Amino acid sequence: MTPTDDVRAQLAGLLPRLRRFARVITRNVADADDLVQVALEKALTRADQWRPGSRMDSWMFGIMKNAWIDEIRARRRRERVHAPEEAGATVGDRSAAARDIAMSVQAAMARLPEDQRMAIALVLVEGLSYKDAAELLGIPMGTLTSRLARGREALQAVLGRDGR
Amino acid sequence: MTVQLSDETLMAYADGELDLVARAEIEAAMARDPEVARAVERHRAAAAQIRGAYDGVLAEPVPGRLAALVAQPIAAPIVDLAERREARQPAAVRTRLPAWAAMAASLAVGVFVGILSTREPVAPYAGVDGVLVARGELDAALDSQLASGAVDATGVRIGLSFKDRDGDYCRTFHLQQEVSVAGLACRSGEDWHLQVLAAEPAREGELRPAAAMPVAVLHAVDAVIDGEPLDAAAEAAARDRHWQNAPEVAE
Repeated sequence: MTPTDDVRAQLAGLLPRLRRFARVITRNVADADDLVQVALEKALTRADQWRPGSRMDSWMFGIMKNAWIDEIRARRRRERVHAPEEAGATVGDRSAAARDIAMSVQAAMARLPEDQRMAIALVLVEGLSYKDAAELLGIPMGTLTSRLARGREALQAVLGRDGR
Repeated sequence: MTVQLSDETLMAYADGELDLVARAEIEAAMARDPEVARAVERHRAAAAQIRGAYDGVLAEPVPGRLAALVAQPIAAPIVDLAERREARQPAAVRTRLPAWAAMAASLAVGVFVGILSTREPVAPYAGVDGVLVARGELDAALDSQLASGAVDATGVRIGLSFKDRDGDYCRTFHLQQEVSVAGLACRSGEDWHLQVLAAEPAREGELRPAAAMPVAVLHAVDAVIDGEPLDAAAEAAARDRHWQNAPEVAE
């Protein structure tokens, strides 16, 4: 009971970041919150698998990654089209220019291949180290690095304005 | 320049991933070659732009269904406390609490109850039939304490007292314990039913101004208050009537 209480309290604190990560990988507000819900349900039923002292954010991102990959496969099997991407969910008192940039970045991110977007979500958005992200994705560091590099290159090509 | 630095290496440097030796090598290259420095700067700028594009999500209110999932099982009835209360009232009279305020509150309750239940032998409130009821020192303070602005020995400080739209008395309070919270309690018979609990915005030892009330509590007050808060005389009179309605109001 006590570890579960602890897990619950930590999960509650992580909710905003879980939603952000889900937004990056699903590209869609409704899908993102559904993914968070599924992942929370999974996490709560196997809370005993979380090792106290280890990073709960990485643990949750791993559960979300797997749940999302399952979901994509299921959708392909059902031959359902992806829900349309939906950018611009960003709120806040930003300037119009900042909002424009955020929306172009989100749109460019949405067009990246799944594996590159996942790598960028973990490292650049959620701040995991290359090592932690590679472990979580079950890939060698070199593969993670090249996915990050290719993803970034594609984004910079689209955004372009800071280029040489 | 003898070593050709790959773009991946520059990216790893910009992301703070390289060890000391490799960092020194890149920094030397950056000093020699402005093109290398510009490439690193481009990587940094791109990283900041990508991160910034999703910052807004963190500020969004968390949907209630997600907050409810991680709230304590025993807190499950608490989550829709405001709704339950509303359900008992004629709908026309009530302004609905903004959904996000209820979410923020339920999230805070979940976290708070979680912390409290492990550390506090005597909880200042208890769940009774799906409603949180003030107990012990909190109950006593709500009954007897006037809004002096001071924290009493039990760590309870009363804020506003007012009547809600059903004519029941409500009082805001601060509870200073290991975890400081603020909340709104409304009289129901001989009990105080907690409507909202939220973590205090700041944690400093000194007294905060009475206005430093978590947003979730303020919104809960706005949603139920009828007219103005009680002044000191009305507050004292209401206390002396044990927070029951005065006969002339009831008639």
